[in-house]
Amino acid sequence: MAKAPIDWSPANWPRLLYRFFTSFKLATVVLILMTVVTLLGTLGQVDNGLHAAKVKYFHSFVFTEKVFGIPLILPGGLLLMIVLFVNMTLGALVKVRKRWKGAGLLISHFGMLMLLAGGFITWAFSTDGYMALYPGMSTNRVESYREWQLEVLPLSKEGVAEKAWIYPAEYLDTMHSDEQRVIKAESLPFDVVINGYSKNATPIPVSAPMAAGVTGKELDGYKLSPQKPSKEAEQNLPGCFVEFRPRDGSAPIEAILWAGSYRFDPRENPMPFTFTVGDQLYGALLVKKSWTVPFTVRLDEFIFERHPGVMTARNYESRVTRFEDSQPDKPLEIKMNEPMRHAGYTFFQESFGPSGSQPGDEMFSQFAVANNPADQWPLWALIINGIGLGIHFVIMLVNFTVRSRNKKLSPAALS
Amino acid sequence: MKRSSPTLLALAILAFLPLGLSAREVPKSALQNYVPWEDETVHTFENLLVQQDGRVKPLYTVARFTLLQFSGKSKVSFQTQDGETHSIHYAAWLLDVLFRGQIAKDLPVFIVDDSAAVVQIGVSPKSKRDRYSYNELVVGRAKLAELGAQYAEKQDMYEKSEKRDAQYELDRIEGMILTLGRNISSFEYLVGQFGFARQGEMLVNENILPQELTELAKKLDTVEMLDKMPEMTLEQLVQTIRQQPGDSEDERTFTGALRLFFFHANSARGLNLFPPQQKDNEVWVSGGDALLAGLASKEVRPWAAGQLASIRTLVLAQKEGEAAFHEALKAFSTKQNAIADERGEGKYSEMEITLYRGKWFSYSLYCFVVAFVVMAFSWLTPASRVGGILILIASLLALLGFFLDAYGITLRSIIRQRPPITNLYDTVLFITGTAVLLGLLIEYFTRVGIGTLVAVVSGVLGMFLAMKYEAKEATDTITQLVAVLDTNFWLATHVTIINIGYAAGLVAAIIGIIYLSGRFVMMLMGKTNKEFFQVLTRMNYGVICFCLFFSLVGTVLGGIWANYSWGRFWGWDPKENGALMICLWTLVILHGRMGGMIRDLGIHMNSIILAMIVTFSWWGVNNLGVGLHSYGFTEGVWGALYGSWAVLGVFMLMGVVVWFRERGAKASRDNLATPKSAVTA
Repeated sequence: MAKAPIDWSPANWPRLLYRFFTSFKLATVVLILMTVVTLLGTLGQVDNGLHAAKVKYFHSFVFTEKVFGIPLILPGGLLLMIVLFVNMTLGALVKVRKRWKGAGLLISHFGMLMLLAGGFITWAFSTDGYMALYPGMSTNRVESYREWQLEVLPLSKEGVAEKAWIYPAEYLDTMHSDEQRVIKAESLPFDVVINGYSKNATPIPVSAPMAAGVTGKELDGYKLSPQKPSKEAEQNLPGCFVEFRPRDGSAPIEAILWAGSYRFDPRENPMPFTFTVGDQLYGALLVKKSWTVPFTVRLDEFIFERHPGVMTARNYESRVTRFEDSQPDKPLEIKMNEPMRHAGYTFFQESFGPSGSQPGDEMFSQFAVANNPADQWPLWALIINGIGLGIHFVIMLVNFTVRSRNKKLSPAALS
Repeated sequence: MKRSSPTLLALAILAFLPLGLSAREVPKSALQNYVPWEDETVHTFENLLVQQDGRVKPLYTVARFTLLQFSGKSKVSFQTQDGETHSIHYAAWLLDVLFRGQIAKDLPVFIVDDSAAVVQIGVSPKSKRDRYSYNELVVGRAKLAELGAQYAEKQDMYEKSEKRDAQYELDRIEGMILTLGRNISSFEYLVGQFGFARQGEMLVNENILPQELTELAKKLDTVEMLDKMPEMTLEQLVQTIRQQPGDSEDERTFTGALRLFFFHANSARGLNLFPPQQKDNEVWVSGGDALLAGLASKEVRPWAAGQLASIRTLVLAQKEGEAAFHEALKAFSTKQNAIADERGEGKYSEMEITLYRGKWFSYSLYCFVVAFVVMAFSWLTPASRVGGILILIASLLALLGFFLDAYGITLRSIIRQRPPITNLYDTVLFITGTAVLLGLLIEYFTRVGIGTLVAVVSGVLGMFLAMKYEAKEATDTITQLVAVLDTNFWLATHVTIINIGYAAGLVAAIIGIIYLSGRFVMMLMGKTNKEFFQVLTRMNYGVICFCLFFSLVGTVLGGIWANYSWGRFWGWDPKENGALMICLWTLVILHGRMGGMIRDLGIHMNSIILAMIVTFSWWGVNNLGVGLHSYGFTEGVWGALYGSWAVLGVFMLMGVVVWFRERGAKASRDNLATPKSAVTA
């Protein structure tokens, strides 16, 4: 029987769109593309690292990939997941014929939608950073893993800063190495000019043989050598040239700011570049973006155990005290697989340092601090999904068994 | 009567089976004769405890994996000059190494896969692939050390280079030389382990010490010397022996004694046989550690001297004869076990010996192989009563193989007090068992012989893989867990469930292979068996649903675990992605089927793609060198994966041919069915 021709008139478009978005074919194609994108994103991590691969393949609407030298435009993970969400909502929940036999599938699709929605909320609204403390230290400040910002600090004679002018990480991250930005900071008596920003760089003395290959400005006997971004984006050390142009017409001050001068050990203070404009002493430095949590955490004890006779860590856990206004101090324990959840924040026992510590050395404890409104959604989604798939699986198994039993193969079929 | 395709296949399998059973020639040893150890002595020895890789285990385990590492086998077979052939167990071999070093040096244990490697170090080659004794290789020792250091540096540069720079990649021969150098070095450490107790009897590295020190070694008793030494740390000892001694005889003797002491302390590292003095200290010590601890503190000396003296007693007793040696060994063992018991260590060492001595996994493999042969015989008489009985026998053998595998897995779980899967080797055992069980369940429900075939094929392939993997890695497979894995709940849930999903994905592929090869052969023969193939499709559809359930639940559970451990549900880590791809592809199959995009043939072809994804996720992502799950790097995995994908690709190709043929046939039928008038119109 010949198929009826499709009615392409504008009046029929909503129906066509509905048919398109609810079709099995769309679901299948999206799932195939998601598999391909996941594979590319996995292999892409080998050369470019996890963070770069995530941004390119999974957090994007489209991306280009060279296959046998031919550039192909492919849909990114974000676009595919949005289409899948729409397809599942309309196709598997709205359009689907509601039958008892399909109850399991209906439930499991709802679980999947919840999982996808949770993923979207996490991607859009969650924050994550870390807090590193030596025993006895306390703080309410959480630092970003990868985002760096430029801070200019008016310093007292003792070198203490009470406030800071910040050029945010979101802006700094969009800069290119050949770009110059002049920022007119109202709270400062000078303009801040940034140029030569590189996401990963190393300052090298001009006398070093490798400096010959580095183009760009020389300052105080140093050049800033851009490096290929590290596969581990957390290890990137950005650098840039800055110029402070006093508005009173006095001579500008130039400097190289490099993230390598930032503290990576919680006991060490950051080392700003200092300069004077008028009578005021200022410090400037690249620091990791940071924010505060509504309570303070003090590390009382860090317990680190290795398997006997080897360097492999067996266990590490932190005894902490949580301080909060109008709340009694609360001693707590944070260990692997047992995080501390409080006020919307979750503290995980993530790591320790300094690297290369030997038994007996004093060590710091590092917590991953996450604020994720959809923190527990995957668990609920799993429960819903598990129930749905379980019901469906039992129905399928019963059908299969009954059919297999009733439909004994003829001897001819077995020969 | 024309024979059916299963019959022909059965005949082919049975005809080629004996080819795999050819015997190898036993290597010859320079030893005139060999007196084996008494069983009792070996038994006492293998029950001694040692701390290695973070856990207390029987020496039996150390012997097993050390010999596997050197030889690729767990037995040493050789022929002595008197014409006798000997085959000694790994525990007896280690006993030789530690207490009869002169004999051990003549045992052919070092496997060289290509004689070009030994030629490069100036050693006369034997066969292309052969086993050499230490004494056969010692002539090239200096060259081996030189090349070994060179290749180790090259390998290091390769691993550190961006994108694994090919110019630093070791070729096959270089890799062999590097491995041989490391094995020889390990052997020397073992032979020289009790050198401090031998009073001048140098078994290896004689050339390292100058003549005056070898003479001094004959006069000095290291254990007694410890009591007379001034207190000094290792750093002070190294500093002192680096200084030029004064002119006086006493000063020269003193410096010489210190050098000798350092030599013995250094040689006696690695075999941690002594439980520590303090109860709260978990770290066991070796002879070298005891010497250095005694040197650093006079308070520790009586204890350290006691430990060292117990080894000297063993060494001296061995010279008196085996009866005396056995008594001394028993005394040492009793004392050591009593301390370990008190400390609550080594509780499962006897069970560990049972695990390895029982060879449960080997017997499991034998069961599956025999079951496969029985299955092949059943194809000679398909659809007959005899055929049915043979399938039943094969099913029972597969069930026995499953129980043996499950028993071994259970023992391993009890020994380490963990759920069944904690490392890559465990996954092989577990996935094999699950696939076998799944096959047998399918057989229970369908009774057409296919489930048993799936079970048997899974069993043979899986247990063979387990055996090869263990031999290749040659390291203890009962490993200690890193901190993040220290949770029995998540190991028991996420890890177990996700591996059940892997097993189901592989079972689906085996069914797919049976379907595609069957359809292809039938097509060539111009026959069809629609009813049988429909059963296969129903089977595979069910297995794919099963795979989806476990993969999805396992993946989400993994995400929840990650959320507890690392603070995020999903991180696009390669292992996570691998699991996701399995879920996605099963969904592709199910939705493609429901949407009418694929039919029976498509389901089976896609199940083969599913298997490719499973193997990538199971083995491939570990070797990408990135991600939080980057454990279990295995050399040569990519080659094996490409090989397996190529084989799977052949079956895919069969499916493609069948599809084209079917399409052509359908087009012809449609043409015939269309009236001519309609065509012309």
